[in-house]
Amino acid sequence: MPVEYRAERHALNLPDFCAAQAVLAVVLIVTLTAVVLTVAHQGNGFNFWLDLARTSLFMLWTGMGSAAVLCVLRARLARMPLAAASALALASMLAVIALVSWGTLWLGSSSLLGPRATNLLLPESPWRFFATNLAIGAIVDALALRYFYVTSEWRRNVELQARARVRALQARIRPHFLFNSMNTIAALTRSDAKRAEQAVEDLADLFRANLNEKRSSITLKEELEVARIYQRIEQLRLGERLHVIWDVADLPMRAMVPGLLMQPLLENAIYHGIEPRPAGGIVTVSGALDGDVIGLTVRNPLPEAGEEAHSGNRIALDNIRERMELLYPGRSSVEASRIGDEYIVRLRFPYVEDSERASSL
Amino acid sequence: MNPRVLIVDDEPPARERLRRLLEEHGGVDIAGEAANGEQAVRLAGDLKPDLVLLDVRMPGMNGLEAARHLALFDAPPAVVFTTAYDAYAVEAFEAQAIGYLLKPVRAEKLAAALQRAARLAESTLARVAAGDPARAPRTHVAARLGDAVRLIPLPEIYYFAADQKYTTVRHRGGADLIEDSLRALEEEFPAQFVRVHRNALVAIHSLAAIERDVEGQYRVVLRDIGERLDVSRRLAGELKERFRL
Repeated sequence: MPVEYRAERHALNLPDFCAAQAVLAVVLIVTLTAVVLTVAHQGNGFNFWLDLARTSLFMLWTGMGSAAVLCVLRARLARMPLAAASALALASMLAVIALVSWGTLWLGSSSLLGPRATNLLLPESPWRFFATNLAIGAIVDALALRYFYVTSEWRRNVELQARARVRALQARIRPHFLFNSMNTIAALTRSDAKRAEQAVEDLADLFRANLNEKRSSITLKEELEVARIYQRIEQLRLGERLHVIWDVADLPMRAMVPGLLMQPLLENAIYHGIEPRPAGGIVTVSGALDGDVIGLTVRNPLPEAGEEAHSGNRIALDNIRERMELLYPGRSSVEASRIGDEYIVRLRFPYVEDSERASSL
Repeated sequence: MNPRVLIVDDEPPARERLRRLLEEHGGVDIAGEAANGEQAVRLAGDLKPDLVLLDVRMPGMNGLEAARHLALFDAPPAVVFTTAYDAYAVEAFEAQAIGYLLKPVRAEKLAAALQRAARLAESTLARVAAGDPARAPRTHVAARLGDAVRLIPLPEIYYFAADQKYTTVRHRGGADLIEDSLRALEEEFPAQFVRVHRNALVAIHSLAAIERDVEGQYRVVLRDIGERLDVSRRLAGELKERFRL
């Protein structure tokens, strides 16, 4: 049963135009725009109040109509690809403008409202009336959509960053690992002082890497080194039961990656795949550069039937996905799948060497 | 004569350290070492230790399950659990007054535990296991053999059948009497066993077919051994549907 994890894609997330607050905002914005347009008309000898009434009446209809249409389409737009959603939103708002314009012309030409109103409502040239309305509508609506998109992206980024920070805290080294390592070191201090010393140094380096808040990205070489240090500590504890195969010689070691990318994956592989198996097993870490995309794969055996796996694997994966999304928006992926009796996690992200570019959001 | 201690931990350095601490403490003999629960139960049957130092988290059979099997011995050894970090287990041990040591173990705490070490009742351990939020069913059931137990791996069991007072477990190696009730077994292994009758619980992997004799009695045919067990009328339809028999 393959489990798919995909990076969140970019979508057109509009505000909820069904909510009273949004409707009020639309009314206000529309009225203000009507005032602006009317003031701009001044000087032609028009009656200001009559002109304002006419303009704002027309614009209120188009504004409320557009809000109603977007309210209905909102859920569907959020699910569509960004370009298609923007096109559909724009087209439906222009349709509303065309409809209201047609309605105005129809009202003006009918004798329903009497001759005085007819003079007021009927523009001299119907085609010019349509064209002007649609042109203004297209520009204003496109600007509005752009504004909504940018604010929703900004909000999403803020949320992602905040969540990534929280998750980073949660994904910190498991307490079990810390205490078991301490125990191992306590045992080694007498039997093999040299290895005990190295274990303390390794543990210190690992914690330094975990506590490193400032740098959001490090070189792949440094990251792999942290993962190797982690493996060394686990090796002391698990001995013969743990085998790790490193097939990463083809990777560009200068590539910038988010810190703590590989170590949590290796930790998961050992915790879920090796520890529950009395006979242990093999974890394979492999990587390759495909054009300008780096692919990293970690595979581990699944626990045998009856040996239940520990839960809590997803936190680390979600955390890695969010941090990669912050670093390479829309250009990274984290996939986890179960193939046969193996659990495989695949990361793909762009090859970036420049630390400035990689660490700037 | 010194009390004899069995050390159980899956990590070699952890065993090594306990061995050294015990040697330095003196007054105890080290009977042996085991790397998981299953080995521990088997070795305890052979070596008859007075005390078992038992790691809680081990691959395969964990410490809690091993302790439950050990408690079935006619003269069960005393048990002291060791754990690096198990918030739940520590809380449960405190609540049930079960001895435990936190790793890395301190020499003076070990000395105190050796003095206070006590035999544990299976019922107490079953309560602890039942409250575990990450509860895993046992990997084996155990049949009493006097001063040892026979461990029967779950995958080798065909069915459990209840008599008036006893539960019989039919498995690849034959049949044995165990002390668990059918109801408790059914609750513990819902994924592996299914009730076919008031007095029988059958391993799902050994269900081969359901047949009906001339008198209208339903019977389930068991894979591999070809034995037949009565199926209650009420459960026959349910079984057929669920397992497409």
